[in-house]
Amino acid sequence: MSDAVRDKIKDYIMQEFLPGEDPSELTATTPLISGGILDSIAALKLVMFLEQEYGVAFEAHEVNRDNLDSLTSIVQLLISKKPALAR
Amino acid sequence: MHSAITSSAIGAPASDATQAHGRITLFDFAVIALQLGLVLVLFRQFQIESTAFLQLAAIVFVAFAVHAFLPLRMRLPFFAVLSVVSVPLAMGLSNGLWILAIGSLFIAICHLRVSINLRATALLLVAALLAAQRATLLPFPWHDAIWPILGSMFMFRLIVYFYDLRHDSTPVTLAQSVGYFFMVPNVCFPLFPVVDSQAFRRSHYSVDARQTYQRGIDWMVRGVVHLLLYRYIYYYLTLAPSEVTDPAQFSQYIVSNFLLYLRVSGLFHMIVGMLYLFGFHLPETHNRYLLASSFTDFWRRINIYWKDFMQKVFYFPMVFALRRFGTTKAIAISTLLVFLLTWALHSYQWFWLRGVVLFAWHDILFWGILGVLVVVNSVYELKFGRRRSLGKQVMTWRSVVVTIAKRYAMFWTICVLWSLWTSESIADWISLWSALRGPYTVEVLLYPGIVLAVIALGSIPMPKAETAKTRQEAYRAWALDRAIAVALLVGLIAVSIQDVHTRLGTQVATLVHSLRSGHLSRLDNAKLERGYYEGILSVDRFNSQLWEVYSKKPSNWLEVENTGLKRFVGGFAQADLAPSSVATTKYGTITINRWGGRDKDYTEVRPPDTLRAVVLGPSLVMGWGVDDDETFERVLEDRLNQEPLSPLFKHVELLNFGVPGYQPPQQLVAFDKTSALQPNALLYIAAGREMRRSADYLAQVVRKRLVIPYPALQAIVDKSGVRADMDETTSLKLLEPYQSEILKVIYGYLVEQSINRGIRPVWIFIPQARAGSWQEETPAVLKIAQEAGFGTIDLSDVYEGYDLGSVRLAEWDDHPNALGHRLIADRLYAAIAANPNLLFGSEPTAK
Repeated sequence: MSDAVRDKIKDYIMQEFLPGEDPSELTATTPLISGGILDSIAALKLVMFLEQEYGVAFEAHEVNRDNLDSLTSIVQLLISKKPALAR
Repeated sequence: MHSAITSSAIGAPASDATQAHGRITLFDFAVIALQLGLVLVLFRQFQIESTAFLQLAAIVFVAFAVHAFLPLRMRLPFFAVLSVVSVPLAMGLSNGLWILAIGSLFIAICHLRVSINLRATALLLVAALLAAQRATLLPFPWHDAIWPILGSMFMFRLIVYFYDLRHDSTPVTLAQSVGYFFMVPNVCFPLFPVVDSQAFRRSHYSVDARQTYQRGIDWMVRGVVHLLLYRYIYYYLTLAPSEVTDPAQFSQYIVSNFLLYLRVSGLFHMIVGMLYLFGFHLPETHNRYLLASSFTDFWRRINIYWKDFMQKVFYFPMVFALRRFGTTKAIAISTLLVFLLTWALHSYQWFWLRGVVLFAWHDILFWGILGVLVVVNSVYELKFGRRRSLGKQVMTWRSVVVTIAKRYAMFWTICVLWSLWTSESIADWISLWSALRGPYTVEVLLYPGIVLAVIALGSIPMPKAETAKTRQEAYRAWALDRAIAVALLVGLIAVSIQDVHTRLGTQVATLVHSLRSGHLSRLDNAKLERGYYEGILSVDRFNSQLWEVYSKKPSNWLEVENTGLKRFVGGFAQADLAPSSVATTKYGTITINRWGGRDKDYTEVRPPDTLRAVVLGPSLVMGWGVDDDETFERVLEDRLNQEPLSPLFKHVELLNFGVPGYQPPQQLVAFDKTSALQPNALLYIAAGREMRRSADYLAQVVRKRLVIPYPALQAIVDKSGVRADMDETTSLKLLEPYQSEILKVIYGYLVEQSINRGIRPVWIFIPQARAGSWQEETPAVLKIAQEAGFGTIDLSDVYEGYDLGSVRLAEWDDHPNALGHRLIADRLYAAIAANPNLLFGSEPTAK
């Protein structure tokens, strides 16, 4: 399930922020914030997507590098908010 | 070469990954240590920052050698202890202990076992108390000097630290807290990047040690390069607004003005580079901000730590609070508020660093305009997105041209906005634009051409190890980085050696020599003088080197304006010294005699067989900073009486009529006043920038609508078109072409009146006790003096062989001290002895 979640998030990021790029370049550990792919506006858009898609609520202080810098860390954060996503 | 960044829990015991990151082989250490030795040599050769910084850097590099081989769990505590020790080392024991005590109080309050709200209240109360003390509303037992450093350590980092305490439950160790707030080398830098507390903790040995240390060295070298470029621009390219009279100068002004920011980016690279030596793999502070292609791009590239701080503490919370009104509105309003807060926090920073609140309309205008532009850009990006890439971007000729064009337009827009921000006033900024009506020559293409070339070169994609696809690519990128860093390091050191740069030609040698030290530019020297002469100093830009000199000045530093010695008399001279007054200062007694001169008493009638010379000049002549008996005039007078140089006179009297703040036009009034005392000689002391100061004073007189009682000077004012309702920049621009003529009139009057009254006129040049380009007018002024008919003595090298710090009162006050005055007196005596006729003449005069 967490793989499915990761893939969905990856699809969103590719479609929204990296159209035309090679999806295989975006791995589970590609740095998203430190790599310049997610700036503040993109991070907010991503957070809104995650909230709508998975029915979770984010707080402002959670929009940071620790939580959003890679697909892995995003999935981990989602699972911490909604453990059912791990099954 | 690039290791994956692991995310070890902050505060948890180091993971296996971090343990591995902390190791370094002896060979790698030796390579790093060798480079650090060269970096220290580089710092020394170019006198980077202060002596205290150089000493601290040496200690830090030695500490690195110990730190690199400590067990990982001991390194952060070691860094914390080093940081704590660095404070009294750099600030002195008393000041250092006060900083540590107040800082410890803040840290302790943050970790009290009470609710977060109570802790916040306690912090605010302590901060309010300190603010009242900073504003001198309440007394404080420590020295003024601690405020800028205490402020730079806590004014922003406390905010983000407390924010993280509130939202991040990960325990913070004592070493992390202490190391974060007191982090070396903060004690040497009032301007310090706002290091994020989570980034500080997260980054500790998050990447391989060798890579981390090497990047630290690269960034320190990059920082020095920025600082040297800054020096070149600061010394050679900056113009005063009144000097901008044509389009070529306009572009030079706005470009050089913006590029002074290289000082900030240089310092921040050096500072963070130093932190890398202790394992902190922090984010970059700036990212090629000259190549920004949009306003949002500019905001993301320049002072990234500030952007991250605002984003974390203010922007995201505001967006989340406002998003019920719609995402676009939330983003737009939050962005505007961030810029409003940036303006407010700059004033807040200014308060802690300078003790006064900065409020200037052009300041507000700059942040307001930039904020609106970033909002528009953000909304556009929200709707239409922006180009991003996972690796190398596919480039076509069209995309290259469009990118360069965007960057070019952005650069000039920022230059214009920056010129508004750094103007003295909105009126001054508007006045600048009149230069575009000036003559268009081929020189107008110079700066636009250079900027285009730099942007085009900067737009060439460079290989990066972080985005390399293969090991070979990563290695090539790494090797290129190493080659550049080493070439710069070795090349700069080599060219700094006198035997090397003198072989490269006179111009190169002079350039390198000037870049080897940090001193005030000619413009800032002029501002420093105005600070003396006018008792005001609008030092209001953080990247100003002048501000850094002044920030060391204690608030209770004695100014002549505060002694009650000067009185306002109205008229052209406006002020003089109050007769028959005495002031006791920490320098000694200042006695003003009944004639209004800082001197012992003299009879009104000149005694027989006496050479009586009036000595005119500014505070240097009056002897600000020394006792009555220590002025060069008094020392010289005593010696001329004890060791006579002429058989024509039995006695010598030197009457000191120096007045602090007097400019050359005011000396006309001083000279006329002294005629009643029957002098037979005049010693006119020129202290530098005579032409410029004369024009400045006339502009001031016109603005104040004072009568000019010297027809020749009034004629020049009429010819120039200066009017009382003009702003200062415009007045100075109009008078600038007449500077030399103004001084010729002044000197001509003094000589003519001297001859008419049987007075022998002697002109003496005494330099400022400060390195820099202040003396650029001296040859021209000497020529004017000689052509006017003065006998001349040039003491330009009076301080040669002496460290300037040993002959002046302080770094921020270059009045000569007692030693300085003795040197002047000795040299003057020697000059008169070499040519006694200059002062005494060759024939007896009428007694």
